[in-house]
Amino acid sequence: MHELVFYGSAAWMTVLLLVGMVGLIRFSSTVARILALDMLTLILVALLVLYGQAQRIPYFLDAALVLALLAFVGTLAAARYYGERKIF
Amino acid sequence: MATVPAYVIAYEASVLSTATTSVIPWAADALVFLGILVTTIGVYGVARLPDTYARLHAASKMVFLGVMPLLLASALTGGREVIPRVILIAFFLLVTTPVSAHMIGRAAYLRGEKMHAPEGVDESGSGLGGASPDS
Repeated sequence: MHELVFYGSAAWMTVLLLVGMVGLIRFSSTVARILALDMLTLILVALLVLYGQAQRIPYFLDAALVLALLAFVGTLAAARYYGERKIF
Repeated sequence: MATVPAYVIAYEASVLSTATTSVIPWAADALVFLGILVTTIGVYGVARLPDTYARLHAASKMVFLGVMPLLLASALTGGREVIPRVILIAFFLLVTTPVSAHMIGRAAYLRGEKMHAPEGVDESGSGLGGASPDS
């Protein structure tokens, strides 16, 4: 990947993060907020993958994997608690 | 038969290596552009669609289809230690994204969230559909 593409795409992903954050604040229903939080974390995963690819450091992919799994568990817990008022 | 001179072999090897080094970064660029495009469409859909049930479509598809090209580009340019990690991330995303989307939709249904789209039809009979005239 060329350097210019990396800078442009990283800047654009940051803009998308900002858009997701505005949605997280402004959405009216709680479920939509959980959804926006899930989406934010996965944009962050994409950003980590991009950064690890540009810097040629594979450990960023470990961080991306852990973040994806934590986002899954967090979304599951939040949605389940909001839906039926218990987690287990 | 005559043996191939060493300089021919070296020339072919150099041509091959320059061909691969010139093609692979451009392919990675194209994949990154594809991923960015799909992610942008998904974020736009989440921001603009009327209710949670419609937003789920944009969010869950965007995540999988938008991160996959980025992972593929990373696997193209990366070496031996990148590819197993890429496969692992792709597998876990493939497994976990539908589950989390299902749980979000289930939470919305259990809490009785109404559809805001006027064409929304609730086939479960709980009366969560949109403002259609015959419901």
